[in-house]
Amino acid sequence: MGKDPQTPGGRDERAWVRRAQAGSASDFEALFRAHWGPAYRAAYLVVRDAAAAEDIAQEGFLAAIRALDRFDRRRPFGPWLHRIVVNRAIDWSRARALRPEAEAVDVPAPHRPEPDDELLAELGRLSPEHRAVIVLRYLLEYTPGEIAELLELPRGTVNSRLRRGLDTLKERL
Amino acid sequence: MRFRAPGEQEAQERAWAVVRRAYEEREPVAWPRRHARPLAAAALVAAVAAAALSPPGRSVVHSLREAVGVKEAEPALFSLPTRGELLVTSRKGLWLVHRDGSKRLLGRYRDATFSPHGLFIAATRANQLVALDPKGNERWTLARPAPRHPVWTGTRSDTRITYLSAGQLRMVAGDGTGDHVITRRTLPPDPATIRHRAGQSEVLAGGRVAFRGTGSFDQAVRSPDGRWLLVSWPTADQWVFVRPGPKRRIVGESRISVQFGGFPRVQGWCCAG
Repeated sequence: MGKDPQTPGGRDERAWVRRAQAGSASDFEALFRAHWGPAYRAAYLVVRDAAAAEDIAQEGFLAAIRALDRFDRRRPFGPWLHRIVVNRAIDWSRARALRPEAEAVDVPAPHRPEPDDELLAELGRLSPEHRAVIVLRYLLEYTPGEIAELLELPRGTVNSRLRRGLDTLKERL
Repeated sequence: MRFRAPGEQEAQERAWAVVRRAYEEREPVAWPRRHARPLAAAALVAAVAAAALSPPGRSVVHSLREAVGVKEAEPALFSLPTRGELLVTSRKGLWLVHRDGSKRLLGRYRDATFSPHGLFIAATRANQLVALDPKGNERWTLARPAPRHPVWTGTRSDTRITYLSAGQLRMVAGDGTGDHVITRRTLPPDPATIRHRAGQSEVLAGGRVAFRGTGSFDQAVRSPDGRWLLVSWPTADQWVFVRPGPKRRIVGESRISVQFGGFPRVQGWCCAG
């Protein structure tokens, strides 16, 4: 689950969570530093907006703090955080599609870096739902079964979204 | 997939500043909540009883009752003397009070503001600005350090929320987008003035004393139609509704603390309802 190179083994993570629950700021920071990158990248690939991705990943950690005392230490922290982040990112993308941003004369446009390669540009053209499963599968390296659990979807739906998303990317590239 | 999102390191440091602060402000549950809750309830009952039975408390309540004929409001609350809905905060959190007196606890927020037409509410908690619908459902959230004093202004199609965060005045569009720092302070002035002297408080409206009482008033909030003032009077555990002018009326409501789990702070009186 969540095999990012920055993410340590499960035992370290459980110890960080346990000590963070007891009030250790340094252990909470270790947890944050280990999980920020994957969470931010996943959010960015779904929403394609750096400022929104930052807010969404940050919200995920704030939600983690609110639920820290109730968190079951036997379960891994990463999937729980990614579930919050990816679901919020999908909601944000849907809302953005339905409701264009309000006109604001004195509001500067957010910094929107261009993607480095064609694959990322094409990924951004997929629907948020298809983007999310591809990000979870190929960036965060969850299995389809784990993705189904994270997004509360039938496994068949996850597989079909993966298939359709990959087929679309293949056609366009 | 080898990929690094743009600005990842800078975003991490900005986010860590907010997240660290939220972590430091959290209150770890050191022992089971089942012990803490009865103790807190017992402490609240003791505090309310002590306040009601103390000589100053009895004196203030008695003088008010004689002066304005206070209704003994029950926990079912009261009705507002004019149209609109009240947004108030107490130790329990943020409440929406309807004109008929029914009320809904929206959640644990610090302070709040109505949207210009009362359709939504912006509220703050430790490290978030949150937009809510009147049922308390969160429409969007924005993580910022210690946001306070939100004010929502604008038209039906283009609204902005200004708020304070980390010593900066900031503005965000009503849909939660385009958050940025602004330099000019745009918060509206208070609608009425409160003056304290010689153990008494006075509310001044239109240059005249609209209401006077013993102890301290902490707020005077205008009704949506501008004809009434809600005077918040914690010393007497009262809300006093005052209609200044030739058809002057005063309606007092008592036992406010009991109804909100502590004396509340009024955050707004808005148009809907």
